[in-house]
Amino acid sequence: MTELATSPDMGRGPEKQLPRFDPGITEPIWKIRWKMNMRSLAQNWEIFKESRVGMSGLIIIIAFGAFGLLWPIMINFVWDPLIYHPVVGFDPMLMHPSPPVAGHLLGTDPIGRDILAQLMFSTGREFLLGMLSAVISVVVGTFIGAMAAYYGGFTDTIFMRVADIVMLFPFVPLLVVIGSMIRLSIFPFAIILGFLEAFGGITVILKAQALQVKVRPYIDAARVAGGSDLHIIRAHIIPNVLPLSFLYMMFNVTAAIVSEATLSFFGILNIDMSWGMMIHTAETAGYLFDFGKFWWLWAPSGFFITLFCAAFYMVGRGLDEVVNPRLRKR
Amino acid sequence: MIPGHARAGGPSGALRPAPRFGREQLKARVITMRRYMLGRVGQLVLTLLIYMTMVYFLMQAMPGDISQVYLANPRIPQAARLELKKQLGLDRPPFFQYLSYIKNFFTGNLGVSFSHYPRPVWDILVERLPRTIVLFVTANCLSFYVGFVLGRIIAWQRGATVDRMATVVGITFWTAFYPLLSLILIWLFAFTLNRLPLNQFIEPALWIKAPFTSNTVFGYMVLGASVIALAVFLIFWVFRRGLRRTRRSAAMAWAMTAGVIGLAIWIAHATGTLIYIWDIIRHMILPVCTLTLINFAGTMLLMRDSMLETVQEDYVMAARAKGLPDNVVRDRYAARNALLPTVTSLVLSLASSMSGGLVTETMFSWPGIGQVLFRAAIGNDYPLATGALVFTGVFLLVAHFVADVLYAFLDPRISYTGQPAAEG
Amino acid sequence: MDALLSVEDFTMHYRTKAGWVQAVDGVSFALKRGQALGLVGESGCGKTSVAMSIMRLLPYNAEIKHGRITLGGRDVYAMASEEFRQVRWKEISMIFQAAMNALNPVYTVGSQIVEAIVEHEPETTEEQARRRVAELFDLVGIPADRADHYPHEYSGGMKQRAVIAMALACNPSLIIADEPTTALDVIVQDKILREMEEIRRRINMSMIYISHDISVIAEVSDIVGVMYAGKLMEIGEADDVFKRPRHPYTYGLMHAYPSILGAKRDLATIPGEPPNLMAPPAGCRFNPRCDRATDECRAVEPKLIKAGPEHRIACHNPVWTPSSGGERVGAAR
Repeated sequence: MTELATSPDMGRGPEKQLPRFDPGITEPIWKIRWKMNMRSLAQNWEIFKESRVGMSGLIIIIAFGAFGLLWPIMINFVWDPLIYHPVVGFDPMLMHPSPPVAGHLLGTDPIGRDILAQLMFSTGREFLLGMLSAVISVVVGTFIGAMAAYYGGFTDTIFMRVADIVMLFPFVPLLVVIGSMIRLSIFPFAIILGFLEAFGGITVILKAQALQVKVRPYIDAARVAGGSDLHIIRAHIIPNVLPLSFLYMMFNVTAAIVSEATLSFFGILNIDMSWGMMIHTAETAGYLFDFGKFWWLWAPSGFFITLFCAAFYMVGRGLDEVVNPRLRKR
Repeated sequence: MIPGHARAGGPSGALRPAPRFGREQLKARVITMRRYMLGRVGQLVLTLLIYMTMVYFLMQAMPGDISQVYLANPRIPQAARLELKKQLGLDRPPFFQYLSYIKNFFTGNLGVSFSHYPRPVWDILVERLPRTIVLFVTANCLSFYVGFVLGRIIAWQRGATVDRMATVVGITFWTAFYPLLSLILIWLFAFTLNRLPLNQFIEPALWIKAPFTSNTVFGYMVLGASVIALAVFLIFWVFRRGLRRTRRSAAMAWAMTAGVIGLAIWIAHATGTLIYIWDIIRHMILPVCTLTLINFAGTMLLMRDSMLETVQEDYVMAARAKGLPDNVVRDRYAARNALLPTVTSLVLSLASSMSGGLVTETMFSWPGIGQVLFRAAIGNDYPLATGALVFTGVFLLVAHFVADVLYAFLDPRISYTGQPAAEG
Repeated sequence: MDALLSVEDFTMHYRTKAGWVQAVDGVSFALKRGQALGLVGESGCGKTSVAMSIMRLLPYNAEIKHGRITLGGRDVYAMASEEFRQVRWKEISMIFQAAMNALNPVYTVGSQIVEAIVEHEPETTEEQARRRVAELFDLVGIPADRADHYPHEYSGGMKQRAVIAMALACNPSLIIADEPTTALDVIVQDKILREMEEIRRRINMSMIYISHDISVIAEVSDIVGVMYAGKLMEIGEADDVFKRPRHPYTYGLMHAYPSILGAKRDLATIPGEPPNLMAPPAGCRFNPRCDRATDECRAVEPKLIKAGPEHRIACHNPVWTPSSGGERVGAAR
């Protein structure tokens, strides 16, 4: 056993020449890493494809995307901005609100604006809002979670206490209070929402995941190899937490859209047009008491909110099966 | 359980041998449980202080602070304005203002509401709080129970038509735009079918001649409901052994439950409050249903997912091998263990459920904290908005605590270490 | 005496997306009352699938191709599921592979055993059942007062004993022990095995031990079956199989384990990997790893043939061991 304790080339005469390790790698390291990432992405895609819920969600999102992209084309080349502008348009030829007619496939709202144009215009902005807030929350949440897990101790305690409190915040009441004092427009709203989500539950969940990664041997190996803390967090911990982050990003899009729609519905946000605003307009004008008759005022936007949220939620569930093998269809 | 909580109650008490069918052991468990709870209470008080501080500074950071509303009136002369500022304590350094805010909260002084002048904020909130609690607790318990039962069924029949349909319906409700959902429900039940009252808390025409105020009746109602719930719980606890084995004790338990409810109705009738109670209940149905519909799907989908994991556990296989009936394996093994992560996420989602509650209260004109908060915020009634926000936070903290304690009872592993022990 | 359990030409495959996994193929054996059978083989060779087949606890994607299993004369798969539910634990019980996880973490250990007793003997009161639990705990060497503890308060060895106590709860005539001691350290393992063996002999119960560890099987079995890639390769009385192994796989397996007491020798290894059960090799499934393989082995699947009074092997070219009597039986075709 003592032989093992000393290094093999001490006082042992001429050593056998060890074959040099040359697996014939000529590619730069980033290319290999890139290829590996692509391969794991392809594998995950295969699993995701199996999930019917996830795929349906993805198709709906793509359809929404296409619908939103139609807007610049329609307003610039097809529709007359005077009539079809989502905020200030007006059609003088009709009584408003008008039920669906040839020129207005989904009718007009109480002040004469085209419902379809409003829907189409808002789609892009809902994407913007949802994605912006979700990306902020996940980027910040992942980073904090990884830091808290990696450093532990004081950093961990601080962030976890903050998370405890943020999780206590009833978001909608809080935003109602904030929104009633500062008229929030879409960007500040997305940013506030993103940060509120980031410091709350998502940090806790991602930290738990990062903790599991942290105890794996390759983290120690990276540390022994001289990797800096930041390098280890960036190159080893975050990539392993990323699938879960991505999953929560989908759920956060849903949360952001619902919050926006709710607050818009109550007329608290400084947003000129959104799906929630459309229902708000109909409600404040008193048309929602005769639900069945004026269905085109609330049904399209209500349906869109639900479908849009459901689509992201469904993609999230599909991703859940990628992240969590035990949920997969057997 | 939220990972990262401080350890409350050390691992002492574990693995201590106890005498036969151990009374001592039970005592040890109670002691560690008590220590765990005390630790949690300490944490909660700290959290509450931080929360209040954050609300305070949030309100301070807003443009147009509290003083502006009083002082912006141009008819007040400059001298009076300064005097008023002094009276309100706004000339003192911010830190002292903050201290008096904290002190005032704990002495029940939240200032005077602008919009309900001259009613103190505290009075308004204390009047409204029970209504919110009843709505919130009823709807959350109901939605949790419905979600739990449905999730259990669909996980057990994974891949079947029921599973697929329930998943689709669940996702629809879970992502439904709930102001619209409540409008649809109002329109359907109150307007078109004309079965349920439109909204509000009571029917004014009925109450105008009533010999009591609605708050008194409501107070007795809440008290009575709690007593009934406790009695029913006790009955089923006493019969818990027999329930699984004999039909007779199940019948006994149900008969006694019916008796308790009958007695309660008789008492209400004898005191002449029955029609008024029924009126309040009728007004509760729609908001409770809406909140339940919004919330049940979350529990259901979570229960399904977490049960899909527990059914693959060895102890479920072992239970089957033991020759236990299918429903016992499902309920006492797979579902019982799947309940734990579901409760954890219930705790995490209490705040968002509260948000849904606010929307529901506003939609149904249910005069609870949420409605007050919303109106105060819109009407720039800062004292009331602050108070309502703090009350909401306190209420959520207490709900958090209750859920934590419940969790500690559900998971025997938790009371020793403050967090679920790793297996092995 | 008639066989308590007989498995006849039992073939069970798993349906997966990639194809059929031939997990159990043409396995047959019989077990008399009071006998202990040891099933040994590498992991993934179908031992546990055999156990689950007997317990009728197969996953949804398992399909029985042919063959049957009878328990005390009754066909296991012909019984109504309610009828078989009554048979479970009362006639056959099981000690699970990972005893650590076989106990429900949210109930006390005692109550989980009481539950099984009360379920199968409705006339027993809870008090009697609890007394039985205390006796069982005495039997397996756990202090009786630990019955009211939760599984997480037990050590690994105690959980294992508790699971054994649970298996004994309804006095079954057959216990299947699937890797009963694999998770334990060697000393505890040995102790528990001895105790189980003692209990078994005392109450004249049958037992099937399943292990990848041939030394465990050697210690406790009357009959030994060697499985490889879903097939039974060799089965016979323990003395025959261990002293005079005929199948090259058994031979390799025996020399792959060190013997503490035996002479010092080099450990032989079996080269290669077990085959993919979705597309097992033609002929004998062991042929790619067998140093005695011939063209016949690569083309014709060997059947189980007699190699002694109670000794059967599935091999075209059995190992000729001097002590086996000098005749080469297997190749005679």
